[in-house]
Amino acid sequence: MAVLTVKDLCKTFGAGTARSNRVLDHISFDVRGQTFVSIVGPSGCGKSTLLNIISGVEDHTSGHISVTGDSGSPARLGYVFQDPRLLPWRSVRKNMLYVQDSADEAAGTRVDRYLDMVGLSKHGDFFPGQLSGGMQQRVGIARAFAVEPDLLIMDEPFSHLDAITARGLRAQLQEIWSHSKKTVVFVTHDVVEAVELSDRIIVLQPGGKIFEDIEIDLPRPRRQSDPAVATLQAEVLARLENMKALTPTVASAV
Amino acid sequence: MSNPVIEAPPTAAAVTWQEGEVLARRASARHKRKRLALLVAGWAAMLGIWQVAAYYLPFGTLPNPLEVGAEMWDIVAGGALVSDLFASIAKTAVGFAVAGAIGAPVGYLMGRYNYWKAFFHDGVTVAGTIPALTYAVLSLIIFGLSDLGPVLAVALVSTPYVALNVAEGIRGVDQSLVKMSQAFGRSPRQIRREVFVPTIVPYVFAAIRMSFAVAWKVEALTEVFGGTNGVGFQIRNEYQLFNITGVIAWMGLFIVFMLLVERLVLRKLEQRVLAWRPDERAVQ
Repeated sequence: MAVLTVKDLCKTFGAGTARSNRVLDHISFDVRGQTFVSIVGPSGCGKSTLLNIISGVEDHTSGHISVTGDSGSPARLGYVFQDPRLLPWRSVRKNMLYVQDSADEAAGTRVDRYLDMVGLSKHGDFFPGQLSGGMQQRVGIARAFAVEPDLLIMDEPFSHLDAITARGLRAQLQEIWSHSKKTVVFVTHDVVEAVELSDRIIVLQPGGKIFEDIEIDLPRPRRQSDPAVATLQAEVLARLENMKALTPTVASAV
Repeated sequence: MSNPVIEAPPTAAAVTWQEGEVLARRASARHKRKRLALLVAGWAAMLGIWQVAAYYLPFGTLPNPLEVGAEMWDIVAGGALVSDLFASIAKTAVGFAVAGAIGAPVGYLMGRYNYWKAFFHDGVTVAGTIPALTYAVLSLIIFGLSDLGPVLAVALVSTPYVALNVAEGIRGVDQSLVKMSQAFGRSPRQIRREVFVPTIVPYVFAAIRMSFAVAWKVEALTEVFGGTNGVGFQIRNEYQLFNITGVIAWMGLFIVFMLLVERLVLRKLEQRVLAWRPDERAVQ
């Protein structure tokens, strides 16, 4: 069953004016439950706009979009942002409880379970300021998983971390995801990262069209050092170079 | 073949981090002792100058520290401290409460909405620049000889401080935390309680600290002119009896109390409420 349905979605900023700018152009795709989908593309291809429309922050110009929750109830969304966005005055554990429903009695045990999964079970009473950037982002990831979302939206969650920390966190994310099998929409500009993590990669091109929709059928857990992963990463990268050839403005801009 | 460039200097390698920790702790203990010594020296110098001045000034104009100390003790032992000092405290506290009740919502509106900022800004700024003495006189004219005069004076002096600081605090709210809260479906009430209030708490403390000293002075001043009890009232009494020792003794008690409130109550409270801040943790 599709958790996220996007059909003929268009978004035009300043529609009807001389400076009208179409950033999403008839986009259609479905995301089935329990899959990890990455949305990849160069900056200016409409990734963030698409994300904002999915999360309801922004309206779309035309088309249709829906997120389906369990048993018809309103869909529950979880977020991981580029920066951790933790309340500095609350402990790690209280930060995670803050986004839980207060009526949910199982929230406490769930929070502890996910804290354990990101390896921070001993840091529940720490303030965010006492943790490193990577640890804070792990709390952000645990927080999002712990709300048991129907759809988990991750917006370039590793882009602000150094390469080594980011690699560790990607491995951890794969592990958590394998346990929980949440439906994830993961936005990144890093194709290599997308291949390592995803079941499927949707590539957007400038102008807001879907350039390619690639299934990644590799066994998990995947490691960057695995030649099969490396081969596929190279292949996807090569395909994206075609996109640059398609759109000379981008090629010359790069 | 040895390469001199990558050879670590032997002294640096000799100190492990545990040893470094011990050294740091010792250094901080030394630092503390030094600070305490300077504090004591400062007080000794102050009392010394006072003693010398009392000796050389004509008899009856300036009593020496010992006489004043004895008088302070008499006041405490006589029970006047409780009735009058506490009366002053109560009036200041009520004035502060009024300032908080008016200043905080005004500050909230100013920080949150530009329309309200335009509406309040000049008024609050003007109110903050009017000399405290003016408020004291004004309060006396309005309430005459009553406890309400000092309360109003304190309220008038403190309200602009509270309003401006709360407004500043609201403007300091991290919008990305607000967006995060909204993304996770938190209600406006939850966002107020978990994001806005904790952000403005440090600013409120700053407001209290800044206005506390001024508020006390105004409170005492108003009592001097139109009080029926309180520290200011007692200072006027002693003045009318031409008892300078009494005047200074009341002033001394007042200072001791202020220091206690500042050091023991405000600072401790601040350390507890703001424990999440890295600089506060370092102090503990």
